[in-house]
Amino acid sequence: MEIIQAILIVALAFWMVLDQQGFVITTWFPSIIGMIAGLIMGDVPTAMVIAGTFQLMALGVANIGGSSVPNYGLATLVGIYVALRTTSDIEHAKAIALAVGVPVGMLGIQLDVLGKILNSYVSHAAQKALNEGKFAKMNRIFWIGPLIFGLTTAIPTLLCVIFGDKIVRLLLDVVPKWFTDGLSIAGSMLPVVGIALLLQYMPVKKYLTMLLIGFVISAYLGLPILGIAILGFAFAYYFFTQKMSGTPAAAGAGTGNTSVEGDEFDE
Amino acid sequence: MSNTEPATNQVTKRDIRSAAIRYMFMACNTFNYENQQAPAVVFGLNKVLRKIHKNDEDYKASLNNHFNYFNTTTWMANLLLGASVAMEQKDGIKSKEAVQAFKTGMMGPLAGVGDTLVWVLYPTIMGSIAGYMGLQGNPTGAIIWLLLNIVFFFFRIKLFDVGHTSGLKLITALGDRLNVFTEAASIMGLTVVGALIPAVVKMNVQLKYQAGEVTLPIQTEILDKIMPALLPAALTIVVYKLIGSKKLSLTSIIFLIIGLALVCSYFGILGV
Repeated sequence: MEIIQAILIVALAFWMVLDQQGFVITTWFPSIIGMIAGLIMGDVPTAMVIAGTFQLMALGVANIGGSSVPNYGLATLVGIYVALRTTSDIEHAKAIALAVGVPVGMLGIQLDVLGKILNSYVSHAAQKALNEGKFAKMNRIFWIGPLIFGLTTAIPTLLCVIFGDKIVRLLLDVVPKWFTDGLSIAGSMLPVVGIALLLQYMPVKKYLTMLLIGFVISAYLGLPILGIAILGFAFAYYFFTQKMSGTPAAAGAGTGNTSVEGDEFDE
Repeated sequence: MSNTEPATNQVTKRDIRSAAIRYMFMACNTFNYENQQAPAVVFGLNKVLRKIHKNDEDYKASLNNHFNYFNTTTWMANLLLGASVAMEQKDGIKSKEAVQAFKTGMMGPLAGVGDTLVWVLYPTIMGSIAGYMGLQGNPTGAIIWLLLNIVFFFFRIKLFDVGHTSGLKLITALGDRLNVFTEAASIMGLTVVGALIPAVVKMNVQLKYQAGEVTLPIQTEILDKIMPALLPAALTIVVYKLIGSKKLSLTSIIFLIIGLALVCSYFGILGV
């Protein structure tokens, strides 16, 4: 059973990077990858707590334009595996997942860069095969790309699966309580990095009102996020319809003659 | 456009769908620092282009052209690539320069809008909901996210098709709408982010103020009375400024916070 779980976790690590860079269905976002890892490990609730922590850290961390970012999916995956192999206490599991996951996720940056460097050779080899007229060979060469990227996450995961829980269990015997408590506290504070990073990309100054409204409703009224998201959607929808119908000079020229083509999206 | 295409190019709906799926699978999986997504474009289009360019030399010239630097939001690329196929279908290898100019001209603007929508706002809104529910051990948000991804997957295949049939005209027209759409999505995103700060960033001061007989827990009796989530809000502003100043890398900020949490835990200033 444990062997099967270990194999599935490594396979998931291989797949998630390919999917994130391609199909974007299961992705490497912590929530989704954590849920699948939870199903594999047979403890979805604890896995979701760990995944939620990493998800909130990962907000705003976007690999735009080919930049490399900490791989929080990898962090979540090895974090969940090692934590669930070591303990069944949720707070404890969170601290362990953080201690193992964060460094491994940071290592993900270096491996991603390495993968992108190696893929230059794949591109060159494929183009060479094309110019020699070996079209089938060119098609086969392209598959080396996904193989490289899959290994950048599968190899660190494999190492954590083999050694992770043993090392962590050894460490836990010597590590004092304030240290694991400190990691739990860090886990509750770290989402701030994702949030602050995200705000750098967003038009904060222009729409500061919306930020404040969200904060007040959540802090003073304690409404759940989903409810506030629906409210945010209402504001956004109002803005969108106003802009689309309101200013004929700016938007009208665009909307008038494209309404026919636009309808194709509704099919 | 289907009635204007020459009868010799039997490009079917199936070929278009297969090109879309091939590109979508490879998208960034052959990403490199030289021509970025170009190998994925060649991998995606080579089957359908073989049908268009029967002559080996034309085929090589066309694919070599697609080996040129290409990078945009992969979801939006479907529109561009669909239109490129239509151009090559219409004018054969003579369209080479036009295809290149069109792709280079459009990939920047589409990436600007696309990256904001696809890689920042969508994961922010869904990630906030799914992550927040996750903290309570609840996978519902993650399941909704997964299902939405499946819906978008089919929508993107459709985008390739739309690009192929409506081509250039549509993409230019869409640009105006997408800008308004991006603004609207930012509004929703910011509301959610504002709500997220008190909901997920937790700091609990354990210290108590002692004055004679009276003990005053600082967190509940002082800080919370001033404003709920005062410390998380302050921390957000500090980290926001730190990132903005670019004096510290993201990694050092993360380790700084872990260090701070450990110190505060050791001295009993903050608690779980």
